Amino acid sequence: MIYFDNAATSFPKAPTVQKTMVKFLEEDAANPGRAGHRMAVRAEEMIDAVRLKLTRLFEGVSHERMIFTLNGTDALNMGIKGLIQGVWDNGTTPHIITTVLEHNSVSRPLQAMADRKSIELTRVDCDDQGFVDPASIHAAIKPNTRMVVMTHCSNVLGTIQDITAIGQITREHELLFFVDAAQTAGVVQISIKKMNIDLLAFPGHKSLLGPTGTGGLYVGERCPEPQQMNPWREGGTGGDSATPTQPNLFPYYFEGGTPNTVGIAGLGAGIDWVLEHDMASTLAHEQMLVQTLIDRLADDERFTLYGPRDASKRVGTVVLNVEGYEPSDVGSILDDSFEIAVRPGLHCAPYIHRRLGTFPAGSVRVSPGAFNTLEEMNTLLSALDEIAG
Amino acid sequence: MSHNLDRYHRQMLLPAIGEAGQKKLLNSKVLVLGCGALGTVIANMLGRAGVGHLVIVDRDFIEMTNLQRQVLFDEDDVRDGIPKAEAAKQKLAKINSQIKITAVVDDVNHTNIEKLAQGCDVIVDGVDNFETRFIANDAAVKLGIPYVYGGAVGTVGMTYAILPHTEFGNSAWEQAGRATPCLRCIFEQAPPPGMNPTCDTAGVLGPAVSIISNFQVTETIKILTGNWDAVRDRLLSIDIWDNDIRQFKVARAYDVGECTCCKKRDFEFIDGKFSSSTTTLCGRNAVQMTQKLGNGEKLNFNDIAKRLEAHGTVKANKFMLRAEIVDNGEPYELTLFTDGRAIVKGTKIANVAKSIYAKYIGG
Repeated sequence: MIYFDNAATSFPKAPTVQKTMVKFLEEDAANPGRAGHRMAVRAEEMIDAVRLKLTRLFEGVSHERMIFTLNGTDALNMGIKGLIQGVWDNGTTPHIITTVLEHNSVSRPLQAMADRKSIELTRVDCDDQGFVDPASIHAAIKPNTRMVVMTHCSNVLGTIQDITAIGQITREHELLFFVDAAQTAGVVQISIKKMNIDLLAFPGHKSLLGPTGTGGLYVGERCPEPQQMNPWREGGTGGDSATPTQPNLFPYYFEGGTPNTVGIAGLGAGIDWVLEHDMASTLAHEQMLVQTLIDRLADDERFTLYGPRDASKRVGTVVLNVEGYEPSDVGSILDDSFEIAVRPGLHCAPYIHRRLGTFPAGSVRVSPGAFNTLEEMNTLLSALDEIAG
Repeated sequence: MSHNLDRYHRQMLLPAIGEAGQKKLLNSKVLVLGCGALGTVIANMLGRAGVGHLVIVDRDFIEMTNLQRQVLFDEDDVRDGIPKAEAAKQKLAKINSQIKITAVVDDVNHTNIEKLAQGCDVIVDGVDNFETRFIANDAAVKLGIPYVYGGAVGTVGMTYAILPHTEFGNSAWEQAGRATPCLRCIFEQAPPPGMNPTCDTAGVLGPAVSIISNFQVTETIKILTGNWDAVRDRLLSIDIWDNDIRQFKVARAYDVGECTCCKKRDFEFIDGKFSSSTTTLCGRNAVQMTQKLGNGEKLNFNDIAKRLEAHGTVKANKFMLRAEIVDNGEPYELTLFTDGRAIVKGTKIANVAKSIYAKYIGG
């Protein structure tokens, strides 16, 4: 099987991930606790070490503010609902700005709250290539605007957004800036400090090369105190058991319940791999593979490509359609006859597909990752050529 | 419920049944899987015979083309768009108000078969595909419930009564020395989709189904009344057009084989190892179905295309086959891939897609 579905989850994982998880399961897989037995302490220390790695990777301020979640969606819901149903639930309707590029994990919770009139929502358009102009974010700001929630990179087009410029604008207008780093965490350098990010949500199982069931939410210092936010879930925190409600402490306020220790151990190994192999060169490798596809297919009338021709403006993600075939047909044929995994459909991002005119059938997404080779890309291109006939 | 036995007088006159046998029937619960051509005859005759509780399961709604052979339904049912199981229940309630009838409008699959079969005395087969038969066979062996297989297409039908080998070997039929090989002893695997004709592609003569299902009913009555010696232990095959009637001795299949199901008691079909799965394609009026063929097996598009050409436009290349079909007035587009997976366009409902697949591709 040739795997080109890394935008959904990376495969394979870093070689050390599985070994680390097995070792943790064999030796330290206790329920973490700061004041427990030695195994509980070791599990807690492992979690804290990964927390610190993530905080350093994303250039956050303090690692207590790095909260472990189940995935990107969990982190986004925790942040969006925590803020809106918490501190802002005071009679005035907050205005939130988002974009057409968003994945359903951003657009669905926001749209549901807009439908309930809990928020006022503006969905800012992108240009024809799939880039959001920072000026259009600026233009959407109103007196009651409280937050901009947007993706760092379209999961359909792979287009990397000008987060730095938008972060600057949000800071100037004293808005919170919530970034969904689903497609960039682990492959594009992110700096919470320099990019003026207030909340950062990311999965652990994509370019960070960790297992599924891992992710994180960083809650910056400009966010309200924990107690002013609505905890996504409440429960045991492995300490402070005496308080009748969640302790007002990062990260425990948001981390009720036994964490995914085994997964977090694996995530730690994934981060190590990402850092050892230099994110810039991994990104360049993925961009080279995408550029190869674009160069071969962009001028071929049998194919329609979307997004910029210059792969350096993208992560390793590109979408296309084949003349005479539905995207789902192409996906099935690639799997059935060629053993190549791609992802057809809407990619949980209906608004950008409407914008591209590819709704409702969607497109075929090819998303190479760190471990794909040029030979594999050439195999895919031959298969597409054969299918297109 | 107190029963008036008078209505069963003619049946009780038979020495093998008598009043005792009739009381056994009235205390029985039978699962009728599928309520089409086979299932309606089975439910009709078992209901009239006074089987105390019938559970009738079918996912489909009645169509005009069903009336040629599906005996419990009429034109009003087609017009009213009633589910088959529900319509059968309503008709049977008028025929015999003394029995209990449960209608289940659902697909029979590996997730619900055990719940459906639990507590039943016999499982009678009226389904339209082999995957479901193998699921029913697994449930029969696992739970120790006799299973009466039956199927018909064209003018040919086949039936066979399975008195399963149970875990502890202590069932009444085993004590009577009458256990039989299970379906997997005889056919190890379900045939791949598209291999066999279906009623919807090859046609079917009403009496072929009616004859086979009445054989099934007869064996069911023997089983329910404990007439173990009378239960046919051979596989019966009938071509009513050529008047060719054959019985195959299958008893040795259990002795010589290493049946995964009834010898190793590994219930692969109930575990979902070979189960098809369905998923609605996001944003589309379409359902994707994934079939699990044997290792590396590939469908023969030529044969399937030939069968489907009578029913609509068929186009195929080496990667896929696309057929535009009008079924009961509704247009569907069926795209089939070489590993048996399919995309059924024209519905978002998994059970509708499954029916279209079973009707036109089979399996």
